[in-house]
Amino acid sequence: MKNQYHQDMLPLSNYLNTIYLFFRPLIKWFLHRFTNLCELQRLVYGAPDGYRRYKLVERSLYLSKRPQIKNLVYCLNEITSHCIPESLIDAEITTRAIDTILNVKKIKPKYHPGFSDAFGRCIDGIYTYKMLESYVEKLRLQQYSSENFEHEQKLLLLWNNLMPNIPLENRITKQWQQIGFQGDDPSTDFRGMGILALDNLLFFSSEYSGTARHILSHSQHPKYGYTLAVVGINITHMAWRLLKSGQAKSHFYNLSRTHGYLNIEHFHQFYCYLLYEFDSFWIKLKPNNLMEFNNVQERFEKSIVKSTEKENCLFKMNLSVENV
Amino acid sequence: MGFLTVLKKMRQKEKEMRILLLGLDNAGKTTILKRFNGEPIDTISPTLGFNIKTLEHRGYTLNLWDVGGQKSLRSYWRNYFESTDGLVWVVDAADRMRLDACKEELNILLQEERLAGATLLVLANKQDLPGALSAQEIKDVLELDKITTHHWSVVGVSAVTGDKLLNAIDWLIGDIAKRIFTLD
Repeated sequence: MKNQYHQDMLPLSNYLNTIYLFFRPLIKWFLHRFTNLCELQRLVYGAPDGYRRYKLVERSLYLSKRPQIKNLVYCLNEITSHCIPESLIDAEITTRAIDTILNVKKIKPKYHPGFSDAFGRCIDGIYTYKMLESYVEKLRLQQYSSENFEHEQKLLLLWNNLMPNIPLENRITKQWQQIGFQGDDPSTDFRGMGILALDNLLFFSSEYSGTARHILSHSQHPKYGYTLAVVGINITHMAWRLLKSGQAKSHFYNLSRTHGYLNIEHFHQFYCYLLYEFDSFWIKLKPNNLMEFNNVQERFEKSIVKSTEKENCLFKMNLSVENV
Repeated sequence: MGFLTVLKKMRQKEKEMRILLLGLDNAGKTTILKRFNGEPIDTISPTLGFNIKTLEHRGYTLNLWDVGGQKSLRSYWRNYFESTDGLVWVVDAADRMRLDACKEELNILLQEERLAGATLLVLANKQDLPGALSAQEIKDVLELDKITTHHWSVVGVSAVTGDKLLNAIDWLIGDIAKRIFTLD
């Protein structure tokens, strides 16, 4: 029913969008004329700080027909498709964008003292999100390898974090199933999520060790238990999907408003939130068994996507059980 | 005309087949499913529960069921046996350590009454990996020659490259069709 509605609506919104795009230059010219401000200025001054403003600025840049701005967008996309060190972001991204816009739009900082700063923060949010996307993808594409010392160390550390009092008897052992891997050797469980999934789990178990052990105890419940590590890998998949599809932009742009540059730690935190909330969701639903995972996961993802549709969306861990 | 004949005729009209993909964890069941369905295969995570895909192939409607293979899930496999026309047993041909477990699980399945009528296709998957056993070797290790209760075949495939996968599935469909859709 809902799908039907969507399908019917789509052509209409497409149609309206086409009309808007057709008249856009005219509207812009009109507004420019009467407000004496270019579109970017109107957005930066007018839209509330955070996701809404960033989103509109992103769209404005993306739709611009000016060759210099088109070139700027192309350059920024190129730069952020690689992972550049944080120390270069200001020069390579922020300043480049501000200078180009001031120049093209003939905005004089003397008369518009607040613009550069506020616009720069939009750029920081939009383009460090893109950089985060590239970096997350790089980690995901890195396959777990038993011959890689660093990978092995991370895996052992994950065990120690979750089972601090029980030593691992062997590298290949049934014990791994206690923390929710599928078999005797976790290395084959990371699959398409690669080192990203391991890093996510490791971050969760180090940063929130008390909570992680508490959740582990939930997952070992004889009736409503689940396989924590493999569920965790599936949650990595979900976090990755939300980042990639742009649905997570509302959360991350709002986060950037207060935290500045986005980095991998913010993604790990996002993951921790999702895993923590998934655990509560599962416990509350009390599914009959693990075969219902896909169904529960879909419902969970729907509820998260619904939250991301709110412009003030910002996910925060609501910890009531750290260090129980 | 008996009730069974009526049922047979109805199914003939719909030309529907129910195919179950089983195997140990990390055998490549989901990858095979996605590859066959033309979806990207580079973002797969371990299957918890099951996936279903319905697709049209050679004039038949295939209902493919891919059920998670980890040990704790195997006891739920039985819930999916009902009216299965074809069983695809996926083997990680490069995982020599677990071929015994693989053989054991397959033997348990073959004794299952509700799978008695199903055609068995054994896929010796991951032929793209060095050290993968060939289809012939998998046949010997799993002692497939001893199977007399089911129509069976073994094919060496690679879900990643897609090599021979289509031929294998076509054999399966052909065999099922011969069996359940009687020629008019």
